[in-house]
Parts: sequence; structure tokens; C-alpha cells
Amino acid sequence: MDLTKAEEAILNGEQGEGRQKAMELVTALGKIYGAESLIDITSAHLSGASYKTIGDGGLKYLEDMVSGGAKVSVPSTLNPVGMDRERWKEMHISEHFAGKQLRIIDLYGRMGIRTTCSCTPYTGANVPRFGDHVAWAESSALSFVNSYIGARTNREGGPGALAAAILGKTANYGLHLDENRKPTAVIDADIDGSVFSHSLLGQAYGMLKGKGVPYFRGIKPGIEEAKALSAAMAASGSVALYHVEGTTPEAGRFDVSELEAIPIGKKELEDAYSKLNVADDIELIAIGCPHLTEKEMHDIASFLRGKKKVRDDIEIWFCTSAEVRARCPEDVRIMEQFGKVLADTCMVVAPIEGVFSRTGTNSAKAGNYLPTLCSQKAMCRDISALLGVVM
Amino acid sequence: MIAGGKARGEVLKISEPLSFLGGVDGSTGEVRVGSGGNVAGKILVFPSGKGSTVGSFVMYDLMVHGKQPAAVINESAETIVATGAVISSIPMVDSIPSIGMFCDGDTVAVDADAGTIEIEGVQCRVCVSSAIVRGGKVLMLKRPERCRSFPGRWSLVSGKVEEGESLESAARREIAEETRIEAGIPSKSLPAVYVREGNTLWEVHPFRFDISGGDPVLNDENEDFRWVLPGEVSSMNTVDGTSEVISKLIGRSHPI
Repeated sequence: MDLTKAEEAILNGEQGEGRQKAMELVTALGKIYGAESLIDITSAHLSGASYKTIGDGGLKYLEDMVSGGAKVSVPSTLNPVGMDRERWKEMHISEHFAGKQLRIIDLYGRMGIRTTCSCTPYTGANVPRFGDHVAWAESSALSFVNSYIGARTNREGGPGALAAAILGKTANYGLHLDENRKPTAVIDADIDGSVFSHSLLGQAYGMLKGKGVPYFRGIKPGIEEAKALSAAMAASGSVALYHVEGTTPEAGRFDVSELEAIPIGKKELEDAYSKLNVADDIELIAIGCPHLTEKEMHDIASFLRGKKKVRDDIEIWFCTSAEVRARCPEDVRIMEQFGKVLADTCMVVAPIEGVFSRTGTNSAKAGNYLPTLCSQKAMCRDISALLGVVM
Repeated sequence: MIAGGKARGEVLKISEPLSFLGGVDGSTGEVRVGSGGNVAGKILVFPSGKGSTVGSFVMYDLMVHGKQPAAVINESAETIVATGAVISSIPMVDSIPSIGMFCDGDTVAVDADAGTIEIEGVQCRVCVSSAIVRGGKVLMLKRPERCRSFPGRWSLVSGKVEEGESLESAARREIAEETRIEAGIPSKSLPAVYVREGNTLWEVHPFRFDISGGDPVLNDENEDFRWVLPGEVSSMNTVDGTSEVISKLIGRSHPI
């Protein structure tokens, strides 16, 4: 790999051990993927924030990075953590877990990372611009900013994204390069246009193809729909970039006339739905994967206004960022009559296993991860059908 | 080289792609997959990483507990294990042709900075191995029991490369000596495959020659021959790696 003199100096330890380690990691990853050089980034978004997922190994790693003097050099945000910082007791979290989790948040903060912890930083805390090179972890968020905004990032892992944030640089390969952003298949979608149908569309694509750069026709996603589509395809497959004809900013660059066109409609959506629905009874309803936007908070509150919860045996969590929760006090008041509006956490990264065993969600992403990461039997329906269960 | 450094130790080989999350206990180093073992202080050899990205932190946890492997050797590196090796300062070498060149218990010296791996006490010998193909069938030769290398097994037309000889002429010479067949130009060749036999590491260069002539006339290096369909090879008692080489040179199940 061609490094500049300044980059070589960092690799040789001339700017301290923290930055040297970061450079070793970024160049090692660059080598694996055939990068020829590094590229400047404008922002980073980090995963590996929940004590449940990173464990004591991750915590010690962060301790060592901080004591090595590591500091980020570009605006950086953090993924959801394992609990609401104020309301963790209501989430059945142990003192032990809470102590470790608060320490992790503190350590990220010491490195200069903004510790509002959300998987949708692109709605406020961290918004890349078209053409920006960035280093983002969190599969759903990086797919959103690649696709809907036209920023450029690979699927970074937690430590890789942190190393890039420290250096302000990442290896230049994969989706940073024009040639890898070309569509690989055309998807002719026939769906009803709801947010939930975008979740199922993404799930169906992941089940059919797994990877690649799909080019969708027949849909017109807004932010909420694109959020659901991004998350579903990143969880059921490993899609980090897609295009939507007439909607996403890069779609017009490509001639897709020679590509295979695959229809996804009623039958494929039904297959996706049955794959995600295993439980027929639930103990927890968890909504907000990825985190609820302000619009979704308003929509849910209007749906709930005037209704009553009759199933007291089912707990409800609405997951969003602390910022969105603070901006929607009236919606929060209504939603709190049905459940808890939790900030900066979610059902996937919180240690719900051991407390619950059957969870309902509106998210295809959560539907994929609840069984594997949380030992849950999952139910996956649109929000009104899901909330209908408790009325 | 993925992560720098030098190490020497005993090989622990895991034959399948490894997820450190679930596959290795971060505080004890115990391996929970395959035939088990403990990674602590070992030269850990496996094809590649897989699974959750949290695996990088399991490697860090091993280091914190002093149970990390002395070095990691992979056929192909991916993000999770590479990240874990770099952040945990574990020397790591990738792009080796095959983990088949290592055996459990080998003592190996790794110099990741120089990109070298030495399997101590093991000698590498270069040989050629040719598939002679006629009418959809491949020629297999049976080695006598007195043969020093892989006695009693079926093999392609194989032999050592002599000093100063090109691989292709070695292949043609061996075919002429062992079968009296005039082989002509090879229709295909493959990158070397590695086969371990005790303290010998065979670096095998496979070729394919298509012929139309008659049967071979054997010399005393082999005691029998058969023309077989590629799909039949896996049921024969062959020299290690033969079946894989044939499927890459010809295809396993279909006539040509």
C-alpha cells in the first residue's frame, strides 16, 4: 500500500501508541481488501457499544485505548448501548451489567465520541453529505448513508471504524470506489408501499440473493421506508448499498438495461413473512429497530390516542434516541400509557434473554437477530397489528 | 503479513473456518469446536475466520488473560480475525496455499515481519502430478507396497522434479518413463497443492494432458493401471489430495 510520509510516521509510532495501533489496523484491513492507499474521511459511526455484545474483552480494549491517549479526529457517533441510562432498572438490568455499560459509555466519551447512542445518527447527530467518504459501522446505518445519501463507506467493524475515526482516514477500497457501486441486479418490486412492506422486501432480497448491489424499481421510499429496507437487507443478507430508480442520488448514473431483472412480489413477501414469524404468543413487544424517527413517534402516538391496553402481561418497549425522545414530549406521554419509551438502546443489544423468551417486533432486522443474539422466538408484524395484540 | 512479530510454537490446527465468538473461550483459551484443544501459546492454524465481529474482542480477551495464541496462520484473512490479531498484538500471516501443509504438533517458527513460516524438521520436495485423460476417463496408476512414498495407493502419473528441469518437462519425462505415453502439450495446469507425508511436505504441481492413443506400458514404479471416470476416484485408495486435484483439473462427476 502507498502510504504518505505522514502516514508512515504514524505507523512507526511517532505520534504515540494509540495512533500507531490505529494505523496498523487500518492498513492491515486495507491490505486484505487490496487498497492501494488511504483516504480522508469526514465522519465515523461506531458499533460495539453494548456490554452484552463486546463483553470484558471489548471493555478492556477500550480501557487500553483510552489510557493510550486515543482521541478521534473526525465527528464520531456511537451505536445503541445495552440499556437506557436512566431507566435501566425498568429494563430488568442487573447492577453488574449497568456498571460495566456506564463505564463503556464513559470510555467512548473520553475518546471524543459523541455518546448519544443511536443506530440512526443520520437523522440528526451525524449526517454525511453526498460524496463524503466516511467510516461507518452499524450495518443498517451505513447502508442508509451509502444508498439514500450517496456518502461512501464499507461495512466497517467496531474497532476498524474506531481506528479510522482516530486517524481521520480509512483504506480506499470497496464502496469508496466508483466501480464497486454499480448495480448487480434489478429488482422489480410489487409491494403496498408501507414501511413494513419495505422491511419484507429487504428480507426477501436478502433471502434470495444475500449480497450485491440491488437496483430497485417500483418503490418510492421516504426516510422511514429506506431505513426499514436498509436494515432488513443488511441483516438477512450483507447488502451495504442499493439504488432506487428515481429516488436515490446515484441511481441515474447507471444503465441497467443489461442486468438480470428479478421480480419480488406477493409470494416472496409471504416467504419472508413466514421466515420471520415463529412465535404466535409474545411477552414483549419491541418497536424501534432501527430507532424510531420523530415522524414514527407522531404516527404511533396518533394510532394509540384514545385506545386502551388490556393485555397487562405483555410489556412494550419503544426504542429511539435520547434526542428524538426529548423532541417529542407529547407523543412520549401517550406512548408511556402503553409501554416504555427507551432511549439509546434496543431489544437486540439489551440483555433481554433470561427475562423474556418470546418477542414481537415490526423490524425484519430484529426478526433476524432476536433468535440468534437474544434467544427469542420472534413475531414480526406491522406496528398496528403488533400493538393490536395488546388491545 | 497481517500483524507483525515473531513467534515459535506448536501447531494447533482447526480444519474448518473459525468463529472466535462461541468457538474459543476468551478467558481459558479452550477450543469448543472441532477436536478441541487450547489456543494458548500455540501456532493457531485455520483456513479463515467467520461469524460475529465480536470475535475480535474474544481474541483481545484471550490476550488480557494471557491465553492468546503465539501466532495465527490463515489461508485467507478476513476482517474479524485480522482486527483481533492487530489489536491484540498477535503475529498473523495469511495467504498460505493450504493448511494441509501443517500437522498438529509440528513446531513452527513464524516471522510475520519477513512473511516466512518454517515447519521445523520438515523438508519440502517439489513434484509433478499429471492427469492423462482419454475419452472421458483418467489414467490411475497403482504403486507397489515397496514404494517409499504412499505405498499401495493409486495416483496420477507423478514424480520428483529434477535439478534444473522445468515443471512441464518433468511432467512429460515422468509420463514417458512410467507409461511410455507421448504427452505433448498440457491442456491445463494448476497452482501447487501441498500434501504432507510424515516429515515430507510435497509441493505438487498438477497438469492435465489429453491423449487419444493406446494403453500405457508400465515400468517397475507401478504395478497396475486403470482408466476411471473422475467420479470414481473418490472411492479408490489414492494418494492424499488426488481426488481434489482431479476434480479441479477435470470435474468430478461428468464425462468430459
